[in-house]
Amino acid sequence: MERKGILETGLGRRAPLLDKETWILAGAVLLLPVVLPYKTLAAEILIYALGAVSFNILLGFTGMLSFGHGALFGVGAYTTGLLLKHLCWHPLAGLLGAAMGGMMTALVMGLLSIQRIGLYFVMLTLAFNQLAFFGAYQWKQLTGGDDGLLNVPRPDLSIMPGLELPIQSSLQFFLFVWVLFIVSMVLIRRVLRSPFGRVLVAIKENPDRAKAVGYNIQRYKLIAFVISGLFTGLAGGLYALFMRMVPITAIELFTSTDFILMSLIGGLGSLYGPIVGAVIVKIASEVLSQIWPRWLLVLGLTFIVFVIFMRGGLWAFLTMIWGRVKPRRGLEVGR
Amino acid sequence: MILRTEGLTKHFGGLTAVNGVNLEVEDGAIYSIIGPNGAGKTTLFNMLTGEIPVSRGEIYFQGRKITGLKPHQIARIRIGRSFQQNRLFKNLTVVENVRLAQHAHEWGHFNIFKDFLSFSGPVEKAWQILEELDITSIAAKRAGELPHGQQRILEIALALATDPVLLLLDEPTSGTSPDDSVRMIRLLRKLGQRLTMVLIEHNMNLVMSISSTITVLYQGETIASGSPAEIEKNERVRKAYLGGHSR
Repeated sequence: MERKGILETGLGRRAPLLDKETWILAGAVLLLPVVLPYKTLAAEILIYALGAVSFNILLGFTGMLSFGHGALFGVGAYTTGLLLKHLCWHPLAGLLGAAMGGMMTALVMGLLSIQRIGLYFVMLTLAFNQLAFFGAYQWKQLTGGDDGLLNVPRPDLSIMPGLELPIQSSLQFFLFVWVLFIVSMVLIRRVLRSPFGRVLVAIKENPDRAKAVGYNIQRYKLIAFVISGLFTGLAGGLYALFMRMVPITAIELFTSTDFILMSLIGGLGSLYGPIVGAVIVKIASEVLSQIWPRWLLVLGLTFIVFVIFMRGGLWAFLTMIWGRVKPRRGLEVGR
Repeated sequence: MILRTEGLTKHFGGLTAVNGVNLEVEDGAIYSIIGPNGAGKTTLFNMLTGEIPVSRGEIYFQGRKITGLKPHQIARIRIGRSFQQNRLFKNLTVVENVRLAQHAHEWGHFNIFKDFLSFSGPVEKAWQILEELDITSIAAKRAGELPHGQQRILEIALALATDPVLLLLDEPTSGTSPDDSVRMIRLLRKLGQRLTMVLIEHNMNLVMSISSTITVLYQGETIASGSPAEIEKNERVRKAYLGGHSR
């Protein structure tokens, strides 16, 4: 099968749904609660990492900078919070609701904002996030407004009658988040490696050419938005369970900028960069905020340094070092 | 007749960039559109490919009215195009560039559940195109790293990957070295044997040697149309090129 060998040139190999990469990722993030001073931080990092990775489907893989992902995250959080608090839904059903909520919100936001490109697109998503924030702020009966949506329950997972998995302790909850995180990562990776996902990269690389060879890029952008919304909403839902409440900050513009910061620091070009970014940003803010009240300044400076000097982010830096240690062939999905 | 336009016109505000142009492209022709800078060649092209809307007039392809179709719809009805300025997927490999262009025309390009390499059809066809253009040796290189001449060839490859019956080429030799131009002319002549082509070109060598028909645009209007020999002799064409504003 010599021809088969030739055909792989310049394209890399087919990746099965689960492979070594998956296990390494699963193992690596499983180390988080071991190395971190407290386990709650590990769960929070994974939740934000999922949000950042979902956000990066748009920025890193389609070339769309969204300032509206705080709204998607927030809608997911409120959806799960409300479903569990008032309707006593199963946590998994509540999370499914969050994913759906994120999807629907992304559909609306996407339909409006993909009509424009560049700066105008960015401003539209930003406006949408502000709209969602003030909506949540004003609608006190539903969201609790400024006080947040309090007393969101976190019931045990009933798998079947008689079998309940507890997710109360911080380690138990981390493992619950870990499972959903890995499942999401496997799915996102598959989407990005699918024919659809490759078209997204083509759109990022050259939208005019993507159109000229026959792709209806508006439709691809919209579906990318919806998929990104699904996972961002799920992350938001997990956040509601994690906090046992939904603070108004979940839907703030700052949540959007957190995702941007994490993606940029970690690296836009790869699927895993934003995870590294989430780890760094969350740990840094945890440590720095205890030492110095103006810690955001440090994050801002780091951001500037990365944008100017390390465009590929930490992930590119790490893979470069790894490449020195162990040269590796093949295609990176992102670039 | 594969492509026909009727009174094709484009206004940009008060400026009329293209004014009442009638093209008649026969099946199998190599049809060149020439004219000095600002004659409206690229505007005309952009109307044909759906990039910009038409102000007035109609476009017919294989007898069917296609005025107002979007660029991706134009590609779907098997009209391929290349650009004057390279528009490539720069960070992707050459073969991936072509595969992407090819997959747009095959089943499964909207699939989100399967690995893209599970679809072997587009990969095979991409390789056939690389073989036809004799660029298999650069298959694994990133498009952005190629020298300009090879990028121009990849431009053609991407247009070919849409499996066209009509190829619209916007200055295929622009910016290329004399050697690369010769290579390009040879390539276009070869493609001309199986495809209808409409070219915009500045390179007179190329135009005169391969065209079956030439249309000359000047200030948005057709001033001459005919075989290369006829165009060479035409007095208005000479004036347009040499005299500038001597109308």
